[in-house]
Amino acid sequence: MENKKTSVISIVLLTVLAILFLTPFGIMIIGSMIKMKIPVGNPFTWIQKDLSLFNFNFIIKNSEYLTWIKNSLVITIIPTALQMFFALVLGYIFSKKQFKGRDFIFWIMMAVIMVPSQILIIPRYIMFNKIGWINSYIPLILPRIWDIMGVFFVKQFMLQLPKELEEAAYIDGANDFHILFGIMMPLSKSVIATVGTFAFISCWNDLLTPLIFTTSKEMYPITVGLASLLTKEGNFGIEMAGAVFSFVPTFFMFLFFQKYFTRGIAFTGIK
Amino acid sequence: MKVNSGCKPDKGKKPPMTGKVKKHLSKYGIVYLFLVPVMVQFIIFYLIPIVFSFVLTFTDWSIVGTPKFNGLSNWKRLFNDTIAWKSIKNTVMFSVYYIVPTMALGLFLAVMIFSQKKKVGTFFKGIFFLPVVTSFVVISGIWKWIFMGSEQGIINQIFTFLGLNTQLFLASSKQALLVLASLSVFKVVGSTMIYYFAGLNGISEEVYEAAKIDGAGKWRIFSRITFPLLTPIHFYVAIVTTIGSFQIFDSAFLLTNGGPNFSTNTIVFYMYKQGFSSLRFGYASVLAYVLFVIILLLSLIQKKVIKEELD
Repeated sequence: MENKKTSVISIVLLTVLAILFLTPFGIMIIGSMIKMKIPVGNPFTWIQKDLSLFNFNFIIKNSEYLTWIKNSLVITIIPTALQMFFALVLGYIFSKKQFKGRDFIFWIMMAVIMVPSQILIIPRYIMFNKIGWINSYIPLILPRIWDIMGVFFVKQFMLQLPKELEEAAYIDGANDFHILFGIMMPLSKSVIATVGTFAFISCWNDLLTPLIFTTSKEMYPITVGLASLLTKEGNFGIEMAGAVFSFVPTFFMFLFFQKYFTRGIAFTGIK
Repeated sequence: MKVNSGCKPDKGKKPPMTGKVKKHLSKYGIVYLFLVPVMVQFIIFYLIPIVFSFVLTFTDWSIVGTPKFNGLSNWKRLFNDTIAWKSIKNTVMFSVYYIVPTMALGLFLAVMIFSQKKKVGTFFKGIFFLPVVTSFVVISGIWKWIFMGSEQGIINQIFTFLGLNTQLFLASSKQALLVLASLSVFKVVGSTMIYYFAGLNGISEEVYEAAKIDGAGKWRIFSRITFPLLTPIHFYVAIVTTIGSFQIFDSAFLLTNGGPNFSTNTIVFYMYKQGFSSLRFGYASVLAYVLFVIILLLSLIQKKVIKEELD
């Protein structure tokens, strides 16, 4: 009896909090469909007004939004795919191959986590500027082709797999590539998916790096583009439509891969 | 001639040599093919910049002109720069405003959800986790209108409706940092909740059973058993969120531009301004190193505590 009562109370509390958490998203989505320079009145009355896609049309016609989306896709998908690949391969090397200096290399790479990424920005900027890579995709892709947390994640996973798996394959004459792609990869699918979801979100949402490495409008990813809209436009409906564009891909990632997020976060953590 | 001939490969031994190489390659080929390029990339994009950044702190360098060595003057400048100290203070205050609510709410959500059926729990977890995957830029865009300081701000409209005084929020040097903290709580609490949820999963049923037999009430079980047993998680979450909070940049850049009156000027924001608006790369690197030292200390504390927990 008492259990039931507390369970009802907790459901009510959770529901209230959930509504509170969803309200900002609701404001964004409804706001994006209303032609309104300034949000006036009760948000619930907005819904009764005419909903239209005016703001979305306006953005597509009057800004480089489609280019920004394309840029974001390029600097997100390529690093994500490479990070998944290298997490698999390096995780295998660090967990299964025996050679001198292996652990030393791994721990040096792990130690760099303690270095905040902000410290790397200025020297990298000077370097990329010298080579002439500013306003290209390279500074946003090349430094991100692998990520040590992903490698660590796969390494820990593969260490749990029984040695007999690869030993049997070796005896049958299989080489590393057969073992890695034929045996290890299918087994590590969900770990690799976790690495991929994290890579996607962190690349897509990053603001500081592209803010510094892109200076011309045509090279902006969506975060920098939306930031330029937020600091200049001053139009509620249009800003919310811009936000929706940026929000949708992460929302679908979240919808389809939620369990990989929660699994990964319990293991590593997100910034 | 004689010396050279000694170096020539002996024809009789050649087949086993290549055989050895072949064997070596078949065993370590994958290491050469993938680990070596990654190490080169690691040296170029991580190790060299870390060292280079330190060298920069002793130079006077804007992107044009030649760099000049100027000894410790960037470091001396730090000690006389009241804005730099204010930015450190702001960042610490931001952490204070943000960490305790994030941990408390995260723990609360985890405990509430933990008592639900699995399906219901997953549903709620999803809702509270949504802001974690959404970018700071998107949430800042919404926050800008919710906490706008004029009468048009959404909360101010609600306040007016309820007959309360409107607030300046983002336009007030007293409230702006709090608004940024609220944004971060909203954005990060979902991941804190997941850590705590994992922690609750780790506590064995038997502990609770024993307490129930002793007749302990719910609150007593929580305060005497659950909460203390979560100590490693408390610590881990505290350190991780502190490290994250010291790197706060996006919301300060988007919503307040460091103002009003430098009240939201954080370390990373100030570094960005010094480096990329004023083009003082040397001094900006000093600020980056200040951040580095703080984060390094926090990480070392974390390492030490986790080690003690394991022992």
